[in-house]
Formats: sequence, C-alpha cells, structure tokens
Amino acid sequence: MTAALGRNLVLLALLASTVGAVVGSAAAARGSAVGWAWTRRLAYLFAAAMVAANGLMVWALLARDFSVSYVAQVGSLSVPNWVAVVSLWSSLEGSILFWGLVIGGYVGVATWANRDRHPEYMPWAVAVWLACGAFFAFLLAGPAQPFQTVSPVPADGPGPNPLLQNHLLMAIHPPFLYLGFVGMTIPFGLASAALLTGRLGHDFLRPLRTWLMLPWTFLTVAIVLGGWWAYEVLGWGGYWAWDPVENASFLPWLTATAALHSALLSERKGVLKGWTVTLVLATFLLTILGTFMTRSGVFNSVHSFTQSAIGPTIFVFLVLALAWSIALLALRIDRLAAEGTVEPALGRDSLFLVNNLLFVLFTFTVLLGTVFPLLVEALRGVQMSVGRPYFDRMAVPLGIALLLLMGVGPALPWGRATPQQVRQALVPPLMGAALVTAVAAALGVRRPWTLLALAFGGYTLQVTLRELWLPLARRRARGESLGRALVESGFLRGRRRFGSYVVHAGAAVVIVAIAVSSTMGTSREAQLKVGEKTQVGAYTLTFLAVDEVSEPHREAVVARVGVSRGGRELGVLSPRMNQYERQREPIGTPAVRSSLFEDLYLSVMNIDSASGSLGLLAMVNPMVGWIWAATALMALGSLVSLVPSRADTRP
Amino acid sequence: MKLNARVLVAGLAVVAPLVVVLVMNLGRDPHVIGSPLVGRVAPGFTLRPLDGGEPVTLASLRGRPVVLNFWATWCVPCFQEHPLLVSAARSLGDRVRFIGVIYEDSEEQVRGFLARQGAAYPSLVDPGSRTAIAFGVFGVPETYFIDAEGKIAAKHIGPLDEPSLEAKLRQAGLSP
Amino acid sequence: MKRLILAAAVVFVGAPFAVAQDAPTGAEPSRVVGAPRGKALDGDALAARTEDVAGLLRCPVCQGLSVADSPATMAVNMKGQVKELLARGYDQEQILAYFENSYGEFVRLEPPLRGVNWLVWLGPVLALAAGGVIVAWTLRARRRAGSVEPEAPLPGPDTLPDDPKLARHVRRVRELAYGWPDGRPPGTSA
Repeated sequence: MTAALGRNLVLLALLASTVGAVVGSAAAARGSAVGWAWTRRLAYLFAAAMVAANGLMVWALLARDFSVSYVAQVGSLSVPNWVAVVSLWSSLEGSILFWGLVIGGYVGVATWANRDRHPEYMPWAVAVWLACGAFFAFLLAGPAQPFQTVSPVPADGPGPNPLLQNHLLMAIHPPFLYLGFVGMTIPFGLASAALLTGRLGHDFLRPLRTWLMLPWTFLTVAIVLGGWWAYEVLGWGGYWAWDPVENASFLPWLTATAALHSALLSERKGVLKGWTVTLVLATFLLTILGTFMTRSGVFNSVHSFTQSAIGPTIFVFLVLALAWSIALLALRIDRLAAEGTVEPALGRDSLFLVNNLLFVLFTFTVLLGTVFPLLVEALRGVQMSVGRPYFDRMAVPLGIALLLLMGVGPALPWGRATPQQVRQALVPPLMGAALVTAVAAALGVRRPWTLLALAFGGYTLQVTLRELWLPLARRRARGESLGRALVESGFLRGRRRFGSYVVHAGAAVVIVAIAVSSTMGTSREAQLKVGEKTQVGAYTLTFLAVDEVSEPHREAVVARVGVSRGGRELGVLSPRMNQYERQREPIGTPAVRSSLFEDLYLSVMNIDSASGSLGLLAMVNPMVGWIWAATALMALGSLVSLVPSRADTRP
Repeated sequence: MKLNARVLVAGLAVVAPLVVVLVMNLGRDPHVIGSPLVGRVAPGFTLRPLDGGEPVTLASLRGRPVVLNFWATWCVPCFQEHPLLVSAARSLGDRVRFIGVIYEDSEEQVRGFLARQGAAYPSLVDPGSRTAIAFGVFGVPETYFIDAEGKIAAKHIGPLDEPSLEAKLRQAGLSP
Repeated sequence: MKRLILAAAVVFVGAPFAVAQDAPTGAEPSRVVGAPRGKALDGDALAARTEDVAGLLRCPVCQGLSVADSPATMAVNMKGQVKELLARGYDQEQILAYFENSYGEFVRLEPPLRGVNWLVWLGPVLALAAGGVIVAWTLRARRRAGSVEPEAPLPGPDTLPDDPKLARHVRRVRELAYGWPDGRPPGTSA
C-alpha cells in the first residue's frame, strides 16, 4: 500500500510538472496572468508531491517497511535510525528521489518568492524549472523506481553500504551536494527566461545573482565536506584525488563562480551579459553532465554507482539540455543589449574579463583531463589514465593566478585606471606579500610554488582586509564607534560587499592552506612492535597496545598509540583497521589530532594482534584545519551577502 | 529570427566532440582493463614450489600448453574454481601443465587449504608478488593460458568455468 | 618544462622497449627496460624518490589511488618493487615503462607524451592562448568602438533617465550632492 501511494505521488509530480511546463510556456508567450497563476499552482503541486513522496519513503525506511523495493534494497533491522534516514540517498533510486525533493523544494520556494515579481520573466523561468523537474519525475516513474512493491515481503534487508555508516559527514555531505547541484536549476531557468524574453536588465540580474549564490554556497561547502570526509575516513592522508566524480562536482562550481563575478559586472555596468548567461547555462549543463558521470558507470571512479538503464536516459536529457542552451544562445544572445562597453584599459572592469577567461580555462582543463581517457579509448581502444599528477600540475598555476587576481582586481578602481592609480593600488599590498613570504621562508618553506602561493596570499589578504576596513574607517572618521560601524557597514547596509570580501578572504586562505598542506607535510612509515617508538616531525609516537573491537557492522583491530611532543604527553590516538562483511580488503580509519597549525595523522598499514606488530603511517599535515575553517568563513560571508536588502524585496 | 552563427559554431565545436566521446563509451565497463601481454611472450619466472623441491622456471615448462592460475585461500571465487582446476589437471595432466601461483597468502593457510580441498598440481610461492606484478595481475583469481612456445594465448579474469577453460585451452593450442 | 622535454626524449628512446610486440618480457626488469640508466639510491633519497615514482603509478586494485597512497597489498608490493628498482639504479622512466609493460598504459597516472596524448597536455595551453587572444581582441575592439561617437547622446546634467523612479532618485542625488534645487542644474526651469 505504501509502495502504491508512493508511485501515485511520483505520477502526480510527473503530471504537475509536465502540465506546468506547458502551461507556463503558453502563459509566458501570451502574457496571460491567469496562465501564470495556474503555472504557480502547478509548481506548488509538484513541490508538494515530491516532498510527500520523500516523506513517505523516510517513513517507510524508519518503519522498516520491506514491501517497498527501495527499503528492501537498503533498509535493515539492525541499523540505527539515523542510518535508516541517511539510506534515503545512499543508493541509486533513493538518490533520485532525494533529487526530486530538493528540486521540488527549490521550485516551490523560488516560485513563491517571485510570485509577485518580474511577470514578464517568471512564467518562462517556472516552465523551464518544471520541465527539468518533469525529467526527474520521469526517472522516478520509469527507469529508477524506488516505490516498487516487493512480494513476498522479505524479513530483513542488507542495509546500506557499510562505508557510508562510518562517519557523520556521510550524513551531511550528500544533502549539501544536492542543495548545491540541484539548486543550479533555478538560475538556469532564470537565465533561460532572460534569453527567451530577450532582456537582462539590472532588475533581473539581482534575483539571478541571488539564486545563483545560494546553491553556490551549498556546493562550496559540499565539495569541501567531501574532501574532509575523504581525509578523516579513508586513511591515505589526502583530501582530493581528482576522481572523475569529484571533478564532476568541481566543474559547475568553477563556472558558477565565474558566473557570479560576471553577473556582478553585468549588474554594475551592463556589460558581459552574454558571458553571464552562458556561464549560468554552462553551470546547469555541467551538473547534468556530473550526474551522468556519476551514474552512468562510464567513468572509472570510486564513487560510481553501478551501471544501469539510467545512464542513457540522463544522457538523452543532457543532449536535449545542450541543444536547448545552444539554440537559445545562438538565437537570443544578441538581444541582450549591452548598456556600455567593457572599459578597454587596465582597471577592475577589464580584469573581470580576465577572471572569466581563467575560470573557463580551469573548467576546460579539468573537463578535458576527466574525459580524455574516454576519448583515447574511443580512438585507440587502449585504456589510459589521467590522474592526480596531471591535474595537480595544471591546477597549481591556475589556482595561483586566480589567487593573485583576487588581490589585483579589487585593488584597482572601477573603470579606467590611470598609471598613477595603478601604482597606488598595486604597490602597497606588496608589503603583505613580503611579510608572509619572509615568515614562510623563516619557517623553512623553500619550494617555489608554495612560496609564490604564500606571497600572493599575503598580497590578496592585505587587499581584502583593506577593502573590508575602508567603510569602517570612513564611519569611524565621522565619529561612530567601532562596534556600531562594524554592524552598520557589515550587516545593515553593506552586506553584499562585506559578505563578498569575507568570501574572498576565506578563499585566499583556502588556496594558501591547500598549497602548504600538500607540499610541506612530513610522513614516516614504521613497523613497530608493542612498546617501540618512532618519530615524525616534532612528535614521538609510542605503540602502546593492540585491541580487537567487535561492532555490529564490522570487526576492527585498533592500535593504541601514545603521542608526545617535546617531552609533554599529548594523549593516545587510536587508528584502526576495519574488516567489513561485504568488502574483501580491510579499510583503515585514521586517527587525527588537529591543532592550530597542523594535524598529526596516523593510519594503520598493517596490524596483527597475535604478534603485536603494527605498520604505522604517520604524517604531519600543516594547515589542513585552515581549509575547513576558511571554507566555513566563505559560507558565512556568502550567507551574509545573501540576506536580502530592501532593494531585493521591493516588487 | 536572426542567428548568431559564431555562437552556434562555437557551441557545437565544444559540445559535439564531448557528446560523441560519451556516446562511444556507453555500455563499456571502465574497470575492466585489457592485458597488454596477451599475444606476447610470457614473463619468465623462477619460483619455489610450496612443497619444496627444485625451483620451477617457466622455460622448463615449454613444449606443452601451460595453465598458470594466480589464487589465494582468502579469495571466494578461487575457492569456487578450485575443484574444476583440480579435475582438469587430473584428466589433462599429461597434455597440459597446470601451475598455481600463490598470491599474497600465508604458506600455512595454503597448505591447510590444499590438504582439505585436494591438490593436483604444484603451487608456487611468489615473494613480494613480483611475478604477479610482471604478469599484470589486478586481483585473484586470474588465469593465464600459455601456449607451447611460451606466448600468452589468453587471460581469464575471475573464476573459471568449464566452457571458458575449454575455449581458452584450445586457444593455447590444446587439440580437442 | 625542461623536465617535460626530457621525459619526452626518454620516452621516445625507451618506447621501443615498452611497446614492441615481440619484445622479451620477464620478471627480470632488465629484460624489459634494459640496464639501469640512473644512479643507485639509498637512505632518505631512496625513500623520497620511492614516494615520487610510486605517486605516478596507479594502484590496480584501488584504482582511484596511486601506488604511493593505496593501502592495498598489491600496491604495497608494487611500491616495494619500485624501491628495489630505484636502489638498483633504474631511473623513473624505466620503472614506469616496466610497469606499463605488464599492466598497460592504464597504470601510468600521467599520460606519457605519445600520439594522441599530446592533446591533453597541449589542450590547456592552446586554450589559454586562444582565450588570451579573445580577451585582447575584445578589449581592443571596445577601445576602437569607444572612440566612435555612440548613437544615443551621452547623459549630461540636463538629461534624466527614462525610468521615472530612477529619474526621481537621480534628481535627489543631484540635490544632495550639488545642492541643485529639485535636482535641476541652475539656470534651467521645469
């Protein structure tokens, strides 16, 4: 009965979205207010149906209702309730259902938020949103049905993949990822609406930017959460391996970031509108490509779901979306009249163009590297790899160039800058660069790229901090207290600007932290017997004991390692080796001790309780914690920037 | 309606190759890696048999087809294919040489396994998996079918079944 | 860049050993890649280079990781062999070619510079060049366009935007900034 109700809700969603897309298009083409009202209702209905379907599935998972096919697939009597809920997105059909929830939620909220505004754009936008929603509803009704009836009803289920039950991060990484990924549908609809109406004015660029920045925030956090999870859980000490599915999440982030900056210039100066819409469309297309990469089984990735009928179906949708985007751009891009020209001289405006170039280049490079093995397979029938060494080699100069641009761009004035202005703007931050470089060199940094990253980081941070300080300084000069000035300029009046510069500051720290953590770490492998010690960095590690731990879903052998530094005892770390029932190779869980400037990272290579021997991999990873903290800062800055001002809420 | 030809061409130039490449790869399993050694002379080895005795070299096996099976006791499909290999070795032993190579396992475990499950051909010890690496072994079980001249005629990944065994033995030159 | 060219030269010299169909293969690496071409290493240098070279090999079991990072037993064994070969004086390209001989091009994490692989190395460089040209051309075109009289007259002190709401704000700003009554320049009437 549950399964039947679920199927009906899915069909309702499919119906509402399909009809809504048609009605919305007609309403938009004719300018019909009645049509627009009905479109909105259908959008709300679609949202409600998706929310209800997901609620029903969560209920079925919690109730262990094995008559529902998805619950029979991933549910289990022996897992705790939070795992049962998390199973919603742990396997293919459930993850598509979850996609439906997020797209339904976004469409519902975005429609409601704009119900009284931009009447010439919105019906188009909602029609496009519902068309995308219809595709996912179709998947749920056809190739990826989670609500099939299972008969006879099994007594128990296998539970989700044990790797997914390991860590709390697994519970929050996918929802954030979906909120980011799926959310890109909204700006896609808005950009399509702009192209369809042939106008992209200042008034519509605001909601475009807002609805791009919101999913962008989630996507940024999601990508870093994924890296954090890999770092904390997998045991090889790294946080990014340029796996195809990791790249799939990174590609739309790159174009979305470019689109945000391009939109800023479009809003301010009325230029680069074509760039902005193209980048927004590309972001959505890359999310669909990304989901194809993850689900088609065509790419060699550790994250791949197994291949199923869903791959070709998503591919067809991708091709349709590509055709739609290219056709729309070719036919309408010329109508997006520029209200001026990009200032041809050196100044903040022209650097936006350089910014677009660098981000598009980065996107192209990552995409090329990810797809290249498939190209070679098609051309030569030979399997080859494009792995981490290639991507690192390409990403480093690009990342460092962007780091510098984050400093140089905001330093320069808007429009045309005279040589004197350029000098006045670009020379002082060299002090920050010199300071950071000197400190780094004193601490032993010698590698050229790392020093360069630190120098540029110092430069950019000085520029960013100055930009954050300037409005405060002006208010203080007028006699305001510091606290009041901060609240006024940061939160009450200058949110967009303040939040954006906070994001820049966070981003600069992230890039520098990545540079330092990936080049300045030390590691040591040691085979130890109980009682023996080894040294890594400033830490002394003593192998104290071996424990065997039995847990419901895994057997683990745990190494107790005492940690001390400079004679002071710092505690005991317990890296372990887990043997899961369904996996052949045991999987280690590392133990990480994070302090302000570095992480002590211990991982078990091999362990034998009988002989009391331990193969220990010990690493000191500097500045890794700064990556997570600075990302949180980026997210906060972005959220502050997103709080609507009165200009946004006026109809 | 006016068409911006430049945008159209640029868009298609970027998108069409991507779409073509993806289409051409649909249906292919990227985790299955073809072996570059099939059709080439098999890597030579000199390995000590588990039960002691003279080291076995690949060169000494020339003249007859060789079935070289990489296996381990902890590997469930190896356990599944073991009876087939034993019976095949018993019936074809005079025409085909069957050799097992132990992959990342303890000698004690292997001895116990063979005592329980039966042994019909020697199993060789491969310290540090150097021979497995030379053969390009990804995991176990993997079986190499070497012809009488020492060339690798075929490779089988996963547990063997009768049809595959027969077919690949024929490829290695065993007359039916 | 120099390393890239050097690597290319080494590959083109070493390629015949790795790719020839009838080349003798063997568990003895010298049969595959010839005599050691580099310097025998030991101690810390050996450990560091082992990590470097192992980082360029793909783990056949945990295919998402390099041999340096992978915990799989096969990767540990491969790493051990890398160390052995480095200690015997084989250089990086020989070691990579040896593993490629057994496992195929798949095992190299960095695409070797041969045939169509050049595309993945040159692609980003060409894209950067093309992008740079586009940006430069766009800005220069604008500069040229900027020197031509625009069709619509530029706004001046006696013009207001068409949008009445915006016009109201512009007048208010002029009132505050310039002290013009009602935002109109002195000497003009309603």
